Amino acid sequence: MPFVNFATREINCKIVYYGPGLSGKTTNIKWIYDHIKPENKGEMITLATETERTLFFDFVPIEVSNVKGFKVRFHLYTTPGQIIYQASRKLILKGVDGIVFVADSQEERHDANLDTLDDMIENLEDYDIKIENIPLVFQYNKRDLPNVLPVEVLRRDLNRWNRPDFEAVASKGFGVLETFKEITRQVLKKLKK
Amino acid sequence: MMLNLRPEEDKELREILTSIADESKSKIVLLIDKSGQLISRSESPAFSSDDVTFASLTAGNVAASEALSKLLGDKSLNHMFTETEDEGIYMIVIAEKYILVSIFDKVSTNLGIIRVKIKKYYDRLEGLMKRIEERAEKESSMPADINIEDIDLDTLFE
Ligand SMILES: Nc1nc2c(ncn2[C@@H]2O[C@H](COP(=O)(O)OP(=O)(O)OP(=O)(O)O)[C@@H](O)[C@H]2O)c(=O)[nH]1
Ligand SMILES: [Mg+2]
Repeated sequence: MPFVNFATREINCKIVYYGPGLSGKTTNIKWIYDHIKPENKGEMITLATETERTLFFDFVPIEVSNVKGFKVRFHLYTTPGQIIYQASRKLILKGVDGIVFVADSQEERHDANLDTLDDMIENLEDYDIKIENIPLVFQYNKRDLPNVLPVEVLRRDLNRWNRPDFEAVASKGFGVLETFKEITRQVLKKLKK
Repeated sequence: MMLNLRPEEDKELREILTSIADESKSKIVLLIDKSGQLISRSESPAFSSDDVTFASLTAGNVAASEALSKLLGDKSLNHMFTETEDEGIYMIVIAEKYILVSIFDKVSTNLGIIRVKIKKYYDRLEGLMKRIEERAEKESSMPADINIEDIDLDTLFE
Protein backbone atom coordinates (compact mmCIF):
# COMPACT_ATOMS: atom_id res chain seq x y z
CA MET A 1 0.00 0.00 0.00
CA PRO A 2 1.67 3.23 -1.10
CA PHE A 3 1.53 6.09 1.34
CA VAL A 4 1.31 9.72 0.20
CA ASN A 5 1.90 12.69 2.46
CA PHE A 6 0.75 15.92 0.84
CA ALA A 7 2.19 18.07 3.59
CA THR A 8 5.75 16.80 3.33
CA ARG A 9 5.24 15.94 -0.36
CA GLU A 10 6.39 12.36 -0.05
CA ILE A 11 5.30 9.06 -1.52
CA ASN A 12 6.39 5.75 -0.01
CA CYS A 13 6.38 2.43 -1.88
CA LYS A 14 7.45 -1.05 -0.81
CA ILE A 15 9.29 -3.37 -3.18
CA VAL A 16 10.02 -6.96 -2.17
CA TYR A 17 12.69 -9.25 -3.67
CA TYR A 18 11.35 -12.80 -3.45
CA GLY A 19 12.94 -16.08 -4.53
CA PRO A 20 14.47 -19.36 -3.39
CA GLY A 21 17.39 -19.61 -0.98
CA LEU A 22 20.73 -18.40 -2.37
CA SER A 23 19.20 -17.10 -5.61
CA GLY A 24 20.85 -13.70 -5.10
CA LYS A 25 18.19 -11.46 -3.54
CA THR A 26 20.50 -9.96 -0.97
CA THR A 27 23.21 -9.58 -3.62
CA ASN A 28 20.78 -7.53 -5.75
CA ILE A 29 19.83 -5.00 -3.13
CA LYS A 30 23.35 -4.82 -1.71
CA TRP A 31 24.61 -3.89 -5.17
CA ILE A 32 21.95 -1.22 -5.48
CA TYR A 33 22.80 0.12 -2.05
CA ASP A 34 26.52 0.25 -2.87
CA HIS A 35 25.96 2.18 -6.09
CA ILE A 36 23.45 4.77 -4.97
CA LYS A 37 24.67 8.24 -4.13
CA PRO A 38 24.93 8.79 -0.38
CA GLU A 39 22.36 11.61 -0.43
CA ASN A 40 19.75 9.28 -1.92
CA LYS A 41 19.92 6.48 0.59
CA GLY A 42 19.34 5.78 4.26
CA GLU A 43 20.78 3.05 6.39
CA MET A 44 20.79 -0.53 5.13
CA ILE A 45 19.59 -3.17 7.58
CA THR A 46 20.58 -6.81 7.29
CA LEU A 47 19.06 -9.41 9.57
CA ALA A 48 21.15 -12.44 8.72
CA THR A 49 22.61 -15.58 10.23
CA GLU A 50 26.33 -15.95 10.86
CA THR A 51 26.64 -17.59 7.46
CA GLU A 52 25.06 -14.56 5.76
CA ARG A 53 21.77 -16.24 4.98
CA THR A 54 18.89 -13.82 5.38
CA LEU A 55 17.11 -14.60 8.63
CA PHE A 56 14.25 -12.13 8.51
CA PHE A 57 14.84 -9.44 5.91
CA ASP A 58 17.25 -6.94 4.38
CA PHE A 59 16.09 -3.37 4.02
CA VAL A 60 17.33 -0.51 1.83
CA PRO A 61 15.58 2.89 1.85
CA ILE A 62 16.02 4.97 -1.30
CA GLU A 63 14.85 8.53 -1.91
CA VAL A 64 14.43 10.30 -5.20
CA SER A 65 13.09 13.81 -5.76
CA ASN A 66 11.59 15.19 -8.92
CA VAL A 67 11.96 18.73 -10.13
CA LYS A 68 8.79 19.89 -8.46
CA GLY A 69 10.13 18.78 -5.11
CA PHE A 70 8.03 15.69 -4.72
CA LYS A 71 9.97 12.95 -3.02
CA VAL A 72 9.47 9.27 -3.75
CA ARG A 73 10.79 6.75 -1.26
CA PHE A 74 11.34 3.18 -2.36
CA HIS A 75 11.74 0.72 0.46
CA LEU A 76 13.46 -2.40 -0.81
CA TYR A 77 13.10 -5.60 1.16
CA THR A 78 14.39 -9.12 0.59
CA THR A 79 12.72 -12.20 1.98
CA PRO A 80 14.61 -15.14 3.49
CA GLY A 81 14.59 -17.88 0.83
CA GLN A 82 15.20 -20.90 3.02
CA ILE A 83 12.14 -23.12 3.36
CA ILE A 84 12.07 -22.92 7.16
CA TYR A 85 11.40 -19.18 7.06
CA GLN A 86 8.00 -19.43 5.40
CA ALA A 87 6.27 -17.52 8.21
CA SER A 88 8.70 -14.60 7.96
CA ARG A 89 8.33 -14.38 4.19
CA LYS A 90 4.65 -13.82 4.57
CA LEU A 91 5.11 -11.03 7.13
CA ILE A 92 7.41 -9.13 4.77
CA LEU A 93 4.88 -9.18 1.95
CA LYS A 94 2.50 -7.09 4.03
CA GLY A 95 1.69 -3.87 2.18
CA VAL A 96 3.83 -4.79 -0.85
CA ASP A 97 3.57 -2.55 -3.94
CA GLY A 98 5.86 -4.44 -6.32
CA ILE A 99 7.74 -7.73 -6.48
CA VAL A 100 11.00 -8.84 -8.06
CA PHE A 101 11.15 -12.60 -8.34
CA VAL A 102 14.82 -13.59 -8.35
CA ALA A 103 15.14 -17.09 -9.80
CA ASP A 104 18.27 -19.22 -9.68
CA SER A 105 19.01 -20.27 -13.27
CA GLN A 106 20.82 -23.45 -12.29
CA GLU A 107 19.07 -26.61 -13.35
CA GLU A 108 19.25 -28.20 -9.89
CA ARG A 109 17.52 -25.18 -8.35
CA HIS A 110 14.58 -25.17 -10.69
CA ASP A 111 12.29 -27.09 -8.34
CA ALA A 112 13.13 -24.58 -5.65
CA ASN A 113 12.17 -21.75 -8.04
CA LEU A 114 8.82 -23.37 -8.72
CA ASP A 115 8.07 -24.13 -5.07
CA THR A 116 8.95 -20.59 -4.05
CA LEU A 117 6.72 -19.12 -6.72
CA ASP A 118 3.82 -21.23 -5.45
CA ASP A 119 4.58 -20.13 -1.91
CA MET A 120 4.59 -16.50 -3.03
CA ILE A 121 1.26 -16.77 -4.83
CA GLU A 122 -0.28 -18.38 -1.76
CA ASN A 123 1.07 -15.71 0.56
CA LEU A 124 -0.22 -12.95 -1.73
CA GLU A 125 -3.66 -14.54 -1.76
CA ASP A 126 -3.71 -14.42 2.01
CA TYR A 127 -3.36 -10.65 1.68
CA ASP A 128 -6.06 -10.59 -1.03
CA ILE A 129 -3.54 -9.71 -3.72
CA LYS A 130 -3.85 -11.37 -7.11
CA ILE A 131 -0.56 -11.89 -8.88
CA GLU A 132 -2.15 -10.61 -12.10
CA ASN A 133 -2.68 -7.22 -10.49
CA ILE A 134 0.62 -6.50 -8.82
CA PRO A 135 3.71 -4.95 -10.44
CA LEU A 136 6.07 -7.88 -11.00
CA VAL A 137 9.42 -8.51 -12.68
CA PHE A 138 11.31 -11.77 -13.14
CA GLN A 139 15.07 -12.01 -12.94
CA TYR A 140 16.96 -15.13 -14.05
CA ASN A 141 20.12 -14.85 -12.04
CA LYS A 142 23.48 -16.62 -12.01
CA ARG A 143 23.74 -16.71 -15.79
CA ASP A 144 27.53 -17.01 -15.42
CA LEU A 145 27.35 -20.57 -14.08
CA PRO A 146 27.85 -23.59 -16.39
CA ASN A 147 24.71 -25.61 -15.58
CA VAL A 148 22.03 -23.05 -16.26
CA LEU A 149 18.70 -23.71 -17.94
CA PRO A 150 17.89 -21.88 -21.18
CA VAL A 151 16.03 -18.64 -20.59
CA GLU A 152 13.08 -19.94 -22.62
CA VAL A 153 12.57 -22.75 -20.13
CA LEU A 154 12.73 -20.43 -17.13
CA ARG A 155 10.38 -18.02 -18.83
CA ARG A 156 7.88 -20.70 -19.73
CA ASP A 157 7.83 -22.25 -16.28
CA LEU A 158 8.02 -19.15 -14.11
CA ASN A 159 6.90 -16.11 -16.05
CA ARG A 160 3.42 -17.36 -16.86
CA TRP A 161 2.03 -13.84 -16.88
CA ASN A 162 4.37 -12.48 -19.56
CA ARG A 163 5.90 -9.86 -17.33
CA PRO A 164 9.16 -8.11 -18.15
CA ASP A 165 12.10 -10.36 -17.35
CA PHE A 166 15.87 -10.03 -17.26
CA GLU A 167 18.94 -12.21 -17.24
CA ALA A 168 21.41 -11.32 -14.54
CA VAL A 169 24.72 -11.98 -12.88
CA ALA A 170 23.93 -10.13 -9.69
CA SER A 171 27.33 -10.79 -8.13
CA LYS A 172 28.85 -8.73 -10.97
CA GLY A 173 26.00 -6.23 -11.09
CA PHE A 174 24.77 -7.35 -14.52
CA GLY A 175 21.03 -6.95 -14.88
CA VAL A 176 20.55 -5.56 -11.38
CA LEU A 177 19.83 -2.00 -12.37
CA GLU A 178 17.60 -2.97 -15.31
CA THR A 179 15.50 -5.10 -12.98
CA PHE A 180 15.24 -2.36 -10.38
CA LYS A 181 14.31 0.30 -12.92
CA GLU A 182 11.60 -1.85 -14.42
CA ILE A 183 9.92 -2.61 -11.10
CA THR A 184 10.01 1.03 -10.00
CA ARG A 185 8.60 2.07 -13.36
CA GLN A 186 5.70 -0.35 -12.95
CA VAL A 187 5.04 0.71 -9.36
CA LEU A 188 4.98 4.41 -10.28
CA LYS A 189 2.77 3.74 -13.25
CA LYS A 190 0.26 1.91 -11.11
CA LEU A 191 0.36 4.70 -8.57
CA LYS A 192 -0.69 7.14 -11.20
CA LYS A 193 -3.84 5.26 -12.08
CA MET B 1 -6.38 1.32 -0.89
CA MET B 2 -3.74 3.99 -0.85
CA LEU B 3 -3.34 5.90 2.38
CA ASN B 4 -2.62 9.59 2.08
CA LEU B 5 -2.35 12.54 4.41
CA ARG B 6 -3.67 16.05 3.77
CA PRO B 7 -1.62 18.93 5.19
CA GLU B 8 -4.18 19.65 7.94
CA GLU B 9 -4.22 15.97 8.94
CA ASP B 10 -0.45 15.84 8.95
CA LYS B 11 -0.46 18.86 11.25
CA GLU B 12 -2.98 17.39 13.65
CA LEU B 13 -1.10 14.09 13.78
CA ARG B 14 2.14 15.87 14.52
CA GLU B 15 0.48 17.86 17.26
CA ILE B 16 -0.84 14.77 18.98
CA LEU B 17 2.48 12.94 18.71
CA THR B 18 4.36 15.99 19.94
CA SER B 19 2.01 16.37 22.93
CA ILE B 20 2.55 12.73 23.86
CA ALA B 21 6.31 13.14 23.50
CA ASP B 22 6.41 16.35 25.57
CA GLU B 23 4.13 15.19 28.35
CA SER B 24 5.71 11.74 28.66
CA LYS B 25 9.25 13.12 28.26
CA SER B 26 9.92 10.69 25.42
CA LYS B 27 12.86 11.36 23.14
CA ILE B 28 10.58 10.84 20.19
CA VAL B 29 7.17 9.41 19.36
CA LEU B 30 6.63 7.81 15.95
CA LEU B 31 3.55 6.60 14.15
CA ILE B 32 4.21 3.87 11.60
CA ASP B 33 2.06 1.43 9.71
CA LYS B 34 2.39 -2.31 10.06
CA SER B 35 4.07 -2.66 6.68
CA GLY B 36 6.95 -0.56 8.02
CA GLN B 37 6.28 2.91 6.64
CA LEU B 38 6.79 5.96 8.75
CA ILE B 39 3.58 8.00 8.80
CA SER B 40 4.39 10.79 11.22
CA ARG B 41 6.64 11.74 14.12
CA SER B 42 6.73 14.18 16.99
CA GLU B 43 8.72 17.40 16.64
CA SER B 44 11.84 16.04 18.25
CA PRO B 45 14.81 17.57 16.51
CA ALA B 46 17.25 16.05 18.97
CA PHE B 47 16.46 12.53 17.80
CA SER B 48 19.02 11.86 15.12
CA SER B 49 18.73 8.16 14.28
CA ASP B 50 17.43 7.19 10.88
CA ASP B 51 13.68 7.18 11.52
CA VAL B 52 12.83 5.43 8.24
CA THR B 53 15.03 2.46 9.09
CA PHE B 54 13.77 2.54 12.65
CA ALA B 55 10.18 2.26 11.37
CA SER B 56 10.99 -0.75 9.22
CA LEU B 57 12.67 -2.60 12.09
CA THR B 58 9.88 -1.79 14.53
CA ALA B 59 7.26 -3.13 12.13
CA GLY B 60 9.32 -6.31 11.68
CA ASN B 61 9.62 -6.67 15.41
CA VAL B 62 5.89 -6.22 16.02
CA ALA B 63 5.00 -8.51 13.10
CA ALA B 64 7.22 -11.28 14.48
CA SER B 65 5.78 -10.88 17.98
CA GLU B 66 2.24 -10.89 16.68
CA ALA B 67 2.92 -14.07 14.75
CA LEU B 68 4.40 -15.59 17.90
CA SER B 69 1.41 -14.70 20.03
CA LYS B 70 -0.91 -16.15 17.39
CA LEU B 71 1.11 -19.33 17.47
CA LEU B 72 0.58 -19.46 21.20
CA GLY B 73 -3.14 -19.14 20.67
CA ASP B 74 -3.48 -15.53 21.71
CA LYS B 75 -5.73 -13.57 19.44
CA SER B 76 -3.87 -10.33 19.24
CA LEU B 77 -0.88 -8.48 20.48
CA ASN B 78 -1.63 -5.00 21.74
CA HIS B 79 1.67 -3.68 22.93
CA MET B 80 5.27 -4.57 23.62
CA PHE B 81 8.32 -3.24 25.33
CA THR B 82 12.04 -3.61 24.65
CA GLU B 83 14.87 -1.97 26.49
CA THR B 84 18.56 -1.34 26.31
CA GLU B 85 20.66 -0.30 29.24
CA ASP B 86 19.71 3.39 28.91
CA GLU B 87 16.64 3.47 26.70
CA GLY B 88 13.18 2.01 26.57
CA ILE B 89 11.12 1.41 23.43
CA TYR B 90 7.39 1.05 23.93
CA MET B 91 5.16 0.01 21.03
CA ILE B 92 1.39 -0.05 20.99
CA VAL B 93 -1.00 -1.00 18.18
CA ILE B 94 -3.49 1.69 17.11
CA ALA B 95 -6.62 0.99 15.07
CA GLU B 96 -5.25 -2.46 14.19
CA LYS B 97 -3.10 -1.17 11.33
CA TYR B 98 -0.69 1.24 12.96
CA ILE B 99 1.99 1.19 15.61
CA LEU B 100 2.73 4.05 17.97
CA VAL B 101 6.29 3.98 19.25
CA SER B 102 7.83 5.89 22.13
CA ILE B 103 11.58 5.93 22.59
CA PHE B 104 12.65 7.23 25.95
CA ASP B 105 15.59 7.71 28.23
CA LYS B 106 15.17 5.66 31.38
CA VAL B 107 16.64 8.40 33.57
CA SER B 108 14.15 11.04 32.35
CA THR B 109 10.94 9.03 32.51
CA ASN B 110 9.56 5.51 32.89
CA LEU B 111 7.21 3.03 31.27
CA GLY B 112 4.33 3.88 33.60
CA ILE B 113 4.33 7.55 32.63
CA ILE B 114 4.66 6.70 28.94
CA ARG B 115 1.64 4.42 29.10
CA VAL B 116 -0.50 6.92 31.00
CA LYS B 117 0.25 9.70 28.50
CA ILE B 118 -0.39 7.50 25.50
CA LYS B 119 -3.66 6.42 27.05
CA LYS B 120 -4.70 10.04 27.37
CA TYR B 121 -4.37 10.59 23.60
CA TYR B 122 -5.17 7.10 22.39
CA ASP B 123 -8.83 7.67 21.45
CA ARG B 124 -8.10 10.93 19.69
CA LEU B 125 -5.31 9.35 17.68
CA GLU B 126 -7.37 6.32 16.77
CA GLY B 127 -10.30 8.52 15.77
CA LEU B 128 -8.07 10.67 13.59
CA MET B 129 -6.54 7.67 11.80
CA LYS B 130 -9.98 6.24 11.12
CA ARG B 131 -11.16 9.58 9.73
CA ILE B 132 -8.12 9.79 7.48
CA GLU B 133 -8.73 6.27 6.20
CA GLU B 134 -12.36 7.00 5.43
CA ARG B 135 -11.51 10.17 3.56
CA ALA B 136 -8.63 8.52 1.66
CA GLU B 137 -10.89 5.73 0.56
CA LYS B 138 -13.32 8.16 -1.02
CA GLU B 139 -10.95 10.22 -3.08
CA SER B 140 -8.25 9.45 -5.55
CA SER B 141 -5.03 10.40 -3.99
CA MET B 142 -2.48 11.15 -6.64
CA PRO B 143 -1.73 14.86 -6.62
CA ALA B 144 -2.30 16.44 -10.00
CA ASP B 145 1.03 18.19 -9.99
CA ILE B 146 3.15 15.11 -9.61
CA ASN B 147 4.47 13.91 -12.87
CA ILE B 148 5.75 10.39 -12.54
CA GLU B 149 7.59 10.60 -15.85
CA ASP B 150 10.00 13.19 -14.56
CA ILE B 151 11.27 11.01 -11.76
CA ASP B 152 14.70 10.20 -13.11
CA LEU B 153 16.17 7.07 -11.61
CA ASP B 154 19.47 7.55 -13.40
CA THR B 155 20.28 10.46 -11.14
CA LEU B 156 20.27 8.04 -8.20
CA PHE B 157 23.42 6.22 -9.20
CA GLU B 158 27.04 7.23 -9.22
N1 LIG C 1 28.07 -17.23 -9.60
C1 LIG C 1 27.16 -16.38 -9.12
N2 LIG C 1 26.97 -16.28 -7.81
C2 LIG C 1 26.03 -15.40 -7.36
C3 LIG C 1 25.28 -14.59 -8.23
N3 LIG C 1 24.44 -13.84 -7.51
C4 LIG C 1 24.67 -14.13 -6.20
N4 LIG C 1 25.64 -15.09 -6.12
C5 LIG C 1 26.18 -15.70 -4.88
O1 LIG C 1 25.21 -16.58 -4.34
C6 LIG C 1 25.30 -16.61 -2.93
C7 LIG C 1 23.94 -16.31 -2.30
O2 LIG C 1 23.56 -14.97 -2.59
P1 LIG C 1 22.54 -14.16 -1.66
O3 LIG C 1 22.32 -12.86 -2.32
O4 LIG C 1 23.01 -14.15 -0.26
O5 LIG C 1 21.25 -15.09 -1.77
P2 LIG C 1 19.82 -14.85 -1.14
O6 LIG C 1 18.84 -15.04 -2.24
O7 LIG C 1 19.76 -13.57 -0.41
O8 LIG C 1 19.73 -16.09 -0.12
P3 LIG C 1 18.82 -16.23 1.23
O9 LIG C 1 19.05 -15.01 2.03
O10 LIG C 1 19.25 -17.46 1.91
O11 LIG C 1 17.42 -16.35 0.77
C8 LIG C 1 26.36 -15.59 -2.56
O12 LIG C 1 27.57 -16.28 -2.33
C9 LIG C 1 26.47 -14.72 -3.79
O13 LIG C 1 27.74 -14.14 -3.94
C10 LIG C 1 25.50 -14.73 -9.65
O14 LIG C 1 24.88 -14.09 -10.50
N5 LIG C 1 26.44 -15.63 -10.02
MG1 LIG D 1 19.35 -13.07 1.48
